[in-house]
Amino acid sequence: MTLGTAMRRLFPLGSYVLLLFFLAGIWVVISPFAMTTQPSGIHWIPSTINNVVAGSLLIVVSLAGVLGYMAFELRDILREAHEKQLQQELQEQQATATY
Amino acid sequence: MQTTRVTIAKYIWGMTASLIILLTGGWLILAPFALGYQPWGADWANQTINDFWVGIPVAVVALLSFTLFLVSLIGALRASGVLVVTQRLQPVIAAAPAQAMMQTAAPVAPATYSDQSDLDRTLATLAAALAADLNSRRQAQASSDQQTDQTISNRRDV
Repeated sequence: MTLGTAMRRLFPLGSYVLLLFFLAGIWVVISPFAMTTQPSGIHWIPSTINNVVAGSLLIVVSLAGVLGYMAFELRDILREAHEKQLQQELQEQQATATY
Repeated sequence: MQTTRVTIAKYIWGMTASLIILLTGGWLILAPFALGYQPWGADWANQTINDFWVGIPVAVVALLSFTLFLVSLIGALRASGVLVVTQRLQPVIAAAPAQAMMQTAAPVAPATYSDQSDLDRTLATLAAALAADLNSRRQAQASSDQQTDQTISNRRDV
């Protein structure tokens, strides 16, 4: 398997979409402060709390989605490579037994 | 024997993440009204506008992402043979009309059309019956022609 194939398997189109959610989550977290809807010096207003919680959820879930998919795919790639290696060894043993 | 291992955990993982994000996007749209920091009837506050216009693309793209992972899951299941691709069977008559016309109704078994609708089955049975009828007529005509030829040759011999 080439490196490009492995990268395509590790990062499918859905993972790029999840990365967009990561950026959206960052914006949702910082938007109350960037748009100055959160007055400085007082406790967070409900909209700020909501945005920080929802944005954090977006960040965590999108990152978990990308990393989890990558971990599962990496496990599959390693498993396929292991099975392929076992198969090659079996073929070599059969070829040796034939001769 | 080589076995095919089906791994669907990664797709389920991606679909779950997309579903949670879809719900989060929906909540971002509804939150200003649900939490009451957007008064009813008043102009939308900046935070409401921001939440609304961030929530809509998040929800839409999350739905797209969910669909992509679902399509990948279905593709993997099809590739591994768990899901069978339903191919619409073409009637035998359409594939080989001359050969089918010479056959009787027996080859067109109902099992051949098991995946088709009732209308297709009915039409296939009707076509098979017509083919069998035409075949029997041709055979009858051929035998009568042979008898006629035999009679003519007998008369010549006499």
